[in-house]
Amino acid sequence: MITKKINIEGMKRENPDIIPSLERRDFLKLGLLITGVFAGGSILSATSIVGKAFASTREFTEQYPYKPHYSMVVHQDRCIDCELCMTACVKTNNVPTYGYRTQILERVDRKAVERTREFIPVLCNQCNNPPCVVGCPTKATYKNSKTGIVTMESKKCIGCKTCMAACPYNARYFNEETRAVDKCDFCFNSRLSKGEKLTACAEVCPAKARIFGDLSDSGSEVFRTVHNLEKTVWVLRPEAGAKPNVFYTKG
Amino acid sequence: MAEDVTKTADAAVLTGWRAGTAGVLQSLQGTRGYYAALIISGLLLLAAVAAGVHAQYVGTMHAYGASREVPWGILISTYVFFVVTSTGLCLVSSIGHVFGVKDFMPIAKRAIFLSIMTIVAGFFVIAFEIENPFRMAIYNVISPNFTSNIWWMGTLYGAYMFFMAVEFTFLVINKPRIATIIGFMGVVAGIAAHSNLGAVFGMLHGREFWYGPYMPIYFIASAMMSGAATIIFFTWLAYKVNGQKMDALMKKALQVTTKVGILLISVILFFTAWKFITGFVGGEAKTAALEMLLTGSYAFNFWGLEVAAGMVIPLALFILSRGQNLKMIVTASALMIFGIFFMRYDLVIVGQLVPVYYEMGVNEYSQLLSYTPSAHEILIVLGGMGFVGLTFLLGEKVFGGHKSEIH
Amino acid sequence: MKQISVLILILAVAMMMTVYEGRSIAEDETVGGGEIIYSKPVKSVLFSHKSHAAMGLDCNACHEKIFQMEALSAQNKADFNMKGLYDKKYCGSCHAKDGMAFASDTQCARCHIGTKGFNKAPKQVKK
Repeated sequence: MITKKINIEGMKRENPDIIPSLERRDFLKLGLLITGVFAGGSILSATSIVGKAFASTREFTEQYPYKPHYSMVVHQDRCIDCELCMTACVKTNNVPTYGYRTQILERVDRKAVERTREFIPVLCNQCNNPPCVVGCPTKATYKNSKTGIVTMESKKCIGCKTCMAACPYNARYFNEETRAVDKCDFCFNSRLSKGEKLTACAEVCPAKARIFGDLSDSGSEVFRTVHNLEKTVWVLRPEAGAKPNVFYTKG
Repeated sequence: MAEDVTKTADAAVLTGWRAGTAGVLQSLQGTRGYYAALIISGLLLLAAVAAGVHAQYVGTMHAYGASREVPWGILISTYVFFVVTSTGLCLVSSIGHVFGVKDFMPIAKRAIFLSIMTIVAGFFVIAFEIENPFRMAIYNVISPNFTSNIWWMGTLYGAYMFFMAVEFTFLVINKPRIATIIGFMGVVAGIAAHSNLGAVFGMLHGREFWYGPYMPIYFIASAMMSGAATIIFFTWLAYKVNGQKMDALMKKALQVTTKVGILLISVILFFTAWKFITGFVGGEAKTAALEMLLTGSYAFNFWGLEVAAGMVIPLALFILSRGQNLKMIVTASALMIFGIFFMRYDLVIVGQLVPVYYEMGVNEYSQLLSYTPSAHEILIVLGGMGFVGLTFLLGEKVFGGHKSEIH
Repeated sequence: MKQISVLILILAVAMMMTVYEGRSIAEDETVGGGEIIYSKPVKSVLFSHKSHAAMGLDCNACHEKIFQMEALSAQNKADFNMKGLYDKKYCGSCHAKDGMAFASDTQCARCHIGTKGFNKAPKQVKK
């Protein structure tokens, strides 16, 4: 703190316009202590407290702190936009009509040889470095320490929508009934916590376009797909730095 | 004394009405004009509260123009506008008051008062934007997230508002030395809070238009620019309201504040130019956003409102005025306040109009999004301005024109 | 002179129109049944008569041994699914491994235009 006591009464001064340089120097000394206040917000935000850096497609580390480490592999060439996954999701998780937890995107390349159209399912990527969790002021969204699922605690949501702005994948929407932001939770509340092994969308897909499983189990199909150097596996928007847990492949 | 003022004021009112536009301003000198402005501000404030409550009742996703893809609308940008102005007023007042540059002293007290009123106006606007402000009061305290820029910004602005209010109190009860210490703490809290607000945008890696170290730095410089413009305009307005003439010290204060304005406008012009130039080597999403501002649907907002009205014309007026031609300085300040409101609007909105999946080339997200503020939102924005107007007018009377021994 | 040239002009236009009429019939979109969009068992699959006819297939290539003449009658059958196709039924007659056309377990979205394709299609070609 201030090393020299400022004796206000004892100060000899006639002109109240001038603050003596001695006092000014004392105030400036506070600056060293106070710098922590500036850095605090930004530095804490920059270093993710949510899991250590791991698992984008290129950098494979062997650290999977979650058990089970739920993950999904999407076979982009198998999706036929039947949208049975979207229907199942809505029914299983009471998603309101104005929102959605998963969506199918359509890309058309008229110059493509033979097949010119593809369908891309997108959903919450349950990121390992989630910008939504970093930004939420009240920890209403957090990464579950056991399963790695980015979970909502609706009662704490203040509706600031920072998570909606932060998400690089448009995975979130505001639910007016619960007055909280909602998103895919890999059917944890509706299925996984009740003993089911698969999410509703993965189970109902007729083309096996969504493979859901445990990335920490080296025998699982998701593990064997992601850790296969013969296969091209990617994530959406890797430049966003969110380190997603949903992978995409073909074949 | 008071009767003299009233007699002169009535005559001024009559002359004003005959003179036209200049007359409208002149009429503010009179008690009739004063009460008219007071009532209008009060009505705007009431209309805003009604609109806000109604919006909560019907559901904000219906009442406001925001959507899933564009969650932050004009209420967020107006909040940014008010708190940037508040921080700027605090910084400009601190030049004189905390750091002892004598020439800036005369504007300090009014600037501090306005910095409190603008931050409250900002909180007023955002209280209607947040879905659950009451949950915030509880969970910001018992479940804080220290990695969240929003949390830091909210907490630090709370501390800042407290410091500014205490500082003002000490100035009113004539204890300038303690006020200076508290003022310094207010400056520190203000800069910390404000750069965290910039970081709310700048640390979203998924939003290319906002991402980067630029935002926190730009916000601080931009705050000083806003603060200089606001205090010049409101000082001039105050003297019209109080029906008094500015003395030499106050004129000098406005002159040096003009110099600050010139410097900061130049800084912001420089920042803006380089943001665009470096942005064009970014990805498609970033380029799309920049093009929207330069040549697309927001080109008028950018060139006409932000650049011309907000910066270039005021800069020219400031320089030509030599800090002495009051008409030019005040016109410049008014233009700046107007243009800066749209600077905040464009920043918040354009940053979201490029969909996050834009670069994937899918049918659903190959088009730029759009946003239009709803009537509810506009009413709340006007209410925030009404609040500032109301408290400013009342403050001039209650605090006797913010005169102090320092001045 | 003027009247004769007008007469010749009218005759020429009439001839061109007749010829054009004839050509347009041959290339009409609805020839051989037009675009068919199946919505069962999944939404939805596009079959284009035009692109298949353009490859030289005539009506007998598929009707009536593989598909009935009545449009969309196949989607009411229980074996009208991918397994049926892999068993060389329906489209699988040609779209099979080592078949005449690309195998039905490849290039899925080439025929599956999905719910989006179904919603975009005009009413008369689908059920």
